[in-house]
Amino acid sequence: MLTAKGKASLVPRQMLVFFVILFSFPFWSQSVGLYDYIGIEIAIWIIYGLGYNLLLGYTGLPSFGHGAFLGIGAYGYGLAHLNLGSGVWTGLIIAIAAASAAAALAACLLSHRRGIYFALLTIAIGQIFWFVSIKWHSLTGGEDGLLNILRPELNLGVTSISLKSNVALYYLVAILLAVVVLLLWRFLHSPFGSVIQTIRMNETRARFLGYRVWLIKWTVFTLSGAFAGLAGGLFCMTQESAYPDIMSLHASGLIVMMVLVGGGFVSFWGPVIGVVVFFMARDLLGSITETWLLWYGLLFMAVMVFEPEGVAGMWDRLTRRFFGQFPPAPDTKRSTQEELST
Amino acid sequence: MELLHGLLPHIVNGFALGVLFALIALGFTLIVGVMEVINLAHGSLFALGAYIALVVISPDPDILGAFADSYFSLPLVVRYALALLVAPLLVAAVGFGLEICLRRTYGKKKEYGLLLTFGAALVIEETIRLFWGPAEQSLQIPAQISGAFIAGDMIYSNYRVFAALFGICAIAVVWLFLDRTPYGSIIKAGAHDSEMVQALGINLPRLRLLVFGFGAGLAALAGIILTPIWGLRPHVGVDAVIPAFLIIVLGGIGSFWGAVAGGILVGLAVGITGAYATDWSILSMYLLLILVLTFRARGLFGKKTVLEQ
Repeated sequence: MLTAKGKASLVPRQMLVFFVILFSFPFWSQSVGLYDYIGIEIAIWIIYGLGYNLLLGYTGLPSFGHGAFLGIGAYGYGLAHLNLGSGVWTGLIIAIAAASAAAALAACLLSHRRGIYFALLTIAIGQIFWFVSIKWHSLTGGEDGLLNILRPELNLGVTSISLKSNVALYYLVAILLAVVVLLLWRFLHSPFGSVIQTIRMNETRARFLGYRVWLIKWTVFTLSGAFAGLAGGLFCMTQESAYPDIMSLHASGLIVMMVLVGGGFVSFWGPVIGVVVFFMARDLLGSITETWLLWYGLLFMAVMVFEPEGVAGMWDRLTRRFFGQFPPAPDTKRSTQEELST
Repeated sequence: MELLHGLLPHIVNGFALGVLFALIALGFTLIVGVMEVINLAHGSLFALGAYIALVVISPDPDILGAFADSYFSLPLVVRYALALLVAPLLVAAVGFGLEICLRRTYGKKKEYGLLLTFGAALVIEETIRLFWGPAEQSLQIPAQISGAFIAGDMIYSNYRVFAALFGICAIAVVWLFLDRTPYGSIIKAGAHDSEMVQALGINLPRLRLLVFGFGAGLAALAGIILTPIWGLRPHVGVDAVIPAFLIIVLGGIGSFWGAVAGGILVGLAVGITGAYATDWSILSMYLLLILVLTFRARGLFGKKTVLEQ
């Protein structure tokens, strides 16, 4: 289960492995039959997924409307590019600011809600943003969205690099992803990170301990929206367009599926695994059958029925079996806690 | 008075729409109440019901073989009535299957059940796409309930009147079932405190199976009634289930009259804003929800339940 150990290394071993894979990807991608573009997509969705797991896995708040913030980030970046002619950094900052502002507003309505009410309200809020993005033609371009958002030059002060090539863009996204991973890891192992996990385990008890639970939930939601906004801005940069589809209930549900298939409830790395599995499934199943989503959906149902803790949960169990470590099964401990609280 | 006269048709339309929204929400609220599971597949079951009805009403002649001629000689009304009976039963069977999958998630995190139904929604929608294609289709309706009539200076479609009346009847039947039969009492008790119901010696797994099937059947019924108005597309379910979510939150989760009142309120809001700003009429229901929840956190008729844990 997700628990912050007292002292965690700032850069643990898994993270080093992850960074090595991340930064070497363009060198071996061709030889395993992949291409740079999918690397960009995966890296962007990992940013989105890690930010989302802050909410789902760590704080235990299932949001079904998170696509809204990805979309607002994309529109923010696109509009800034089209109207202000902004570059990479200004564009991304506007994307993050727009998405966090929207998330902060939504969180005002959500932070006092729990359980089913929280989930249903996030659906409603996600739908509002999606609906507005379709209907507000003059700003968002309606169902077609914003088009012709050319990839900008990356200005580094001394020199500037064109992001037209996928490898250059990949490295920009990869560096941002590495920063996000470092930030999130540090954040989750801070005292605040422990508090949000307390809220997941027992909200009432967290309140009795004197924490202002609603304010913490509000902060986490806004923060998670900010990461979605960053991912959205990058998404718009990559796709050279922003459109309402990524804000639909369907798309919002997919990120939940990715995070859970990977094991977002048990591991920091759950979203990473889940996103990779999803995109690999899309490419592999998609090359065999047009109805790959049907098979992915069935796979997902099987995961939920037999292995609800996802790939990371399975990995935990297997390593425990083969290497003979028997840490107390955290799930049983937690469920008794939950029983006590209800 | 002038204003009221202008608004009246929109109020009537809104009310009729609201009854249909309530019909969609009914099965949903039953399942949430008894099972404590948000069934995200409700919309897909809704669509599946309509597609099955499509097959029952005008099946592929090749499948029927020798029976084709005699089947097609049946009047459309009979085939339509048959569809109203067969499709909900088949979808209820799908619901049984889904509930059996759900069993393994009971007692674990609530999110698992919710996500399982999301996966099921994806699977059902893709299956529909696989068998019937992505194109919009239309459900034939018998001549007796199609056409239009004029009342005052407005034209009303016969089918909408039929749909609203059917919705009212269905709501009344479900209410009678819940309120006047022993099974209804058990379901209501199950919604109130399922552990106690089990302690009283009632077979809770079977109760859940039946309630889930019943809810799925109601979704299919709503699908058959509503798709002639909304059009039949594979993702029609999403359009249908969103109002249902809003309605049960608005009315209070697990409350029967909450669902009905919520449905009618949402229908009225959509109908009346539709009169002034057609494009934005759907937005009004979200705003209505936020308004109500700001003042009444558990909706209009909601009570504090375990669902908030």
